[in-house]
Amino acid sequence: MIARDRNWLVIFAVCAALAVAYPLIADGYQLTVIRDALIFGLFAASLDFFWGRTGILCFGHAAFFGIGGYIMALVTLNDAIPFGSLLGVMGAVAGAAFVAAIIGYFLFFGGIRGSYFTIVTLAMGVICQQAAVSWSSVTGGDSGLIGIPPIAFDVGGLHVDLSQDLPSYIFVAAIVALVVLALWSISRGRWGTVLTAIQDNEVRAAALGHNAPLRLLVTFILSAAIAGLAGALYVCMAGLVAPDLSGLLLSTEVIVWVAVGGRGTLLGPVLGAIVIQRAQQTISSFNPSLWPLLLGCVFVIIVFVLPDGILSIYARLKSLFRGRRQAQ
Amino acid sequence: MSDVLLQAENVGIRFGGLQALEGLNLTVRDKELCCIIGPNGAGKSTFLNVLTGTLRPTSGSVCFLGHNIAGLPLHRIARLGIARKFQIPSVFPSLSVEDNLKVARWGAPSPVRPIGELMELVALGNRATTLAGALAHGQKQWLEIGMALAIEPRLLLLDEPTAGMTPQETMATAEMLLRLKGEFSVVAVEHDIRFVRALNCETLVLHQGRRLRSGPFHDIESDEMVRDVYLGRR
Repeated sequence: MIARDRNWLVIFAVCAALAVAYPLIADGYQLTVIRDALIFGLFAASLDFFWGRTGILCFGHAAFFGIGGYIMALVTLNDAIPFGSLLGVMGAVAGAAFVAAIIGYFLFFGGIRGSYFTIVTLAMGVICQQAAVSWSSVTGGDSGLIGIPPIAFDVGGLHVDLSQDLPSYIFVAAIVALVVLALWSISRGRWGTVLTAIQDNEVRAAALGHNAPLRLLVTFILSAAIAGLAGALYVCMAGLVAPDLSGLLLSTEVIVWVAVGGRGTLLGPVLGAIVIQRAQQTISSFNPSLWPLLLGCVFVIIVFVLPDGILSIYARLKSLFRGRRQAQ
Repeated sequence: MSDVLLQAENVGIRFGGLQALEGLNLTVRDKELCCIIGPNGAGKSTFLNVLTGTLRPTSGSVCFLGHNIAGLPLHRIARLGIARKFQIPSVFPSLSVEDNLKVARWGAPSPVRPIGELMELVALGNRATTLAGALAHGQKQWLEIGMALAIEPRLLLLDEPTAGMTPQETMATAEMLLRLKGEFSVVAVEHDIRFVRALNCETLVLHQGRRLRSGPFHDIESDEMVRDVYLGRR
């Protein structure tokens, strides 16, 4: 195992230990705050899996989050559908993946890359938000849908009800840990290495027999499916879904979370989402208008001082101390 | 004939008002070594792009094992057994030497040669963990040749494989290809006459997009017209 992988696993283990210990010191409200931040962290990890591995920025990733959220809401709010929670989650994942497959197919096989891809996906996000507003008979329009029930299902005779703070926190934390670990395994294996090669030189990779557009498409679909899962989890925890969840603002915020956390690290974006959400809540509580200004400043400083994100602080400190020791 | 691997017939290509290639023929047999030479702008790289299916000829055809490959996606051409080394060293700079070769091997339908053997073959056996972006220019050229070999090609197309190499590296590259002779066919586009002389194989001379001469290199080298147009007189 190389040092980089070992460091990642150590940081993952520390984060997992903190997540396990947190309920011991936190009250119900704090648990729900971190639970929601973890869901947004899962969403950030989904973007990072695509952006970090392929170098192609999707500027409308909230569209998949919103699609997942709306499908989950529509399925669970319909009493005629049995096993609403399970079918809702499956539908959310499949729906987001389906939309990504359609859009991604034309973009990747049409040779659309770089800033052109970013612009098209930005437009996709705007269209999704507008559709959520305009298609009011289904989506509830501007006010969205409310009264979405918490996730509840039976597994092997055991009834799981996530209406309480602690079970929902544990469930979300476990899902985030499993998905991030799975994405990391994919990233460091054959699939991830070939994606890095495609990011470096797509023509070279294709000339070696790799179907680059197909690989990019599959990665995009997987990324969108996880964003859909995050959307489904969020609306069940929040109890409502609104057009903002597929909007441009959330698409921008998730980019900031990934950039601040560290693109290509998977764990960094989760931490970035949690840190920024917590900071937003704290700062907004005493001055709501101060937050956007501070966020902008922090983002600019991070880009200049820590271009690899907050997760790179450890590596930077390590190299700094090593340099000082050598100088002595 | 049954041992014909690549057959280009009457290939022509036009870019707007410019006739870049006209009436070119090339037959590459199984395990044959062949060079394409010519002055700058003669159409060598364009012809290679047509041979690899990257460019679709406006006239004529290019068949590999009897299949027309014009316009096929690059990955399908690679899987047919055509490997290519690009003019500018084209490796994956973020990956190690070993990972570059692994990525190449994963693209092959049925890879045979182990990674270690490939690294030894291209004289990079002690650079396995070095990032490809940190290699010297000549080593990048060798790595790219190694990557092309990793897909177990039936035909290896090399676009200026020794560009930017020292004379020693150039001769080492020629020796490497001669060692591999008999395993697959090679078509090399090259400027460096020392390299072509060392290979001493069938040679096609291009001039202004047309065939000037073709035949064994020792005949080409002494041809008056080739010397006038390209090689120059001593």
